[in-house]
Amino acid sequence: MSSFTKSAQQWATFARSWYLIDARMQPPGKIATMCAIRLKGKHKPIYHALSDCGDHVVVMNTRHIAFSGNKWEQKVYSTHSGYPGGFKQVTATQLHLKDPKAIVKLAVYGMLPKNLARRTMMQRLHLFSEDELPEDILANLTEELPQPREIPRKLNEYSQEEIDAFPRLWTPPKDYRMK
Amino acid sequence: MTSRGTPSRFLKSVLQNGVGRYVCQLKRISLVFSKNAQSSLGVRNFIEDGVVDYAKKNPGTVVYISPTSCRIPKIVAEYLNGAVREETITCKTSEQLSELVTKLANQSGLDIIRIRKPIHTDSPSIQGQWHPFTNRGPVGPPNRGPVGPQKQQTN
Repeated sequence: MSSFTKSAQQWATFARSWYLIDARMQPPGKIATMCAIRLKGKHKPIYHALSDCGDHVVVMNTRHIAFSGNKWEQKVYSTHSGYPGGFKQVTATQLHLKDPKAIVKLAVYGMLPKNLARRTMMQRLHLFSEDELPEDILANLTEELPQPREIPRKLNEYSQEEIDAFPRLWTPPKDYRMK
Repeated sequence: MTSRGTPSRFLKSVLQNGVGRYVCQLKRISLVFSKNAQSSLGVRNFIEDGVVDYAKKNPGTVVYISPTSCRIPKIVAEYLNGAVREETITCKTSEQLSELVTKLANQSGLDIIRIRKPIHTDSPSIQGQWHPFTNRGPVGPPNRGPVGPQKQQTN
């Protein structure tokens, strides 16, 4: 390391990396916190708010995010066009159908610092609704981040041996009627 | 003027002077004075009393004494990096002059402008400066693409 010139060392220290996050079956809020930390540069020991040390983040499969609870029906996104009578409120489902990237984008936008650097950080966020990424972005990726939520397995993903091996809590009587 | 409008430099020494031996950076010092004017009285007293001791204390510096007919006596100090400093010494006493002359001997020839930081180091990092792959290791081959993630096993 000491054999590098000062300019080469500075170039290495302040280099911008590209991270990949798969948002399939993940809560958009947890995805957004991971993105926001890396867009700001807070994961680096050289962080300073004025140094513009954030990295690029690529999020794929934003169409397949998973809200917990009843948020798909209850969470409301509001906009006002500026004109009288222009207040619109849309549920998360409606917004997701209209634009599959909007939920993640709005979540990340709200988590970034509310200053002029926010727009630059949003330009470094790349959202893709499916898992097809263009070649130039694929070539830039350096690391894939682990998913924040462990995806539970569906019943049809368990093999018959695992189902049989699961401990039975009680045996129902012969005339018991399952709902 | 503001510190942005005036020149500034970083703290440094000429060729790491002092790390090994110390070399006095003052190359030549010339006392230009007049033999009869009142303004050069202090200079003449200094030349009588203190200049020889000063020259013996700084063996690496050459001291020139030039009596000329001039209205304002001057000290011209030349340094090893080529910088030349001229100081006017009208109506200074001998003690003031000896202080000034020792100050010039202790200076290096670097410019007297604002120093941006009072610290400097040639080895800013001991364990190696951080870079994005310090705790990450080298990049493996990309295994992502339009093929789809590994999570989807049976649908």
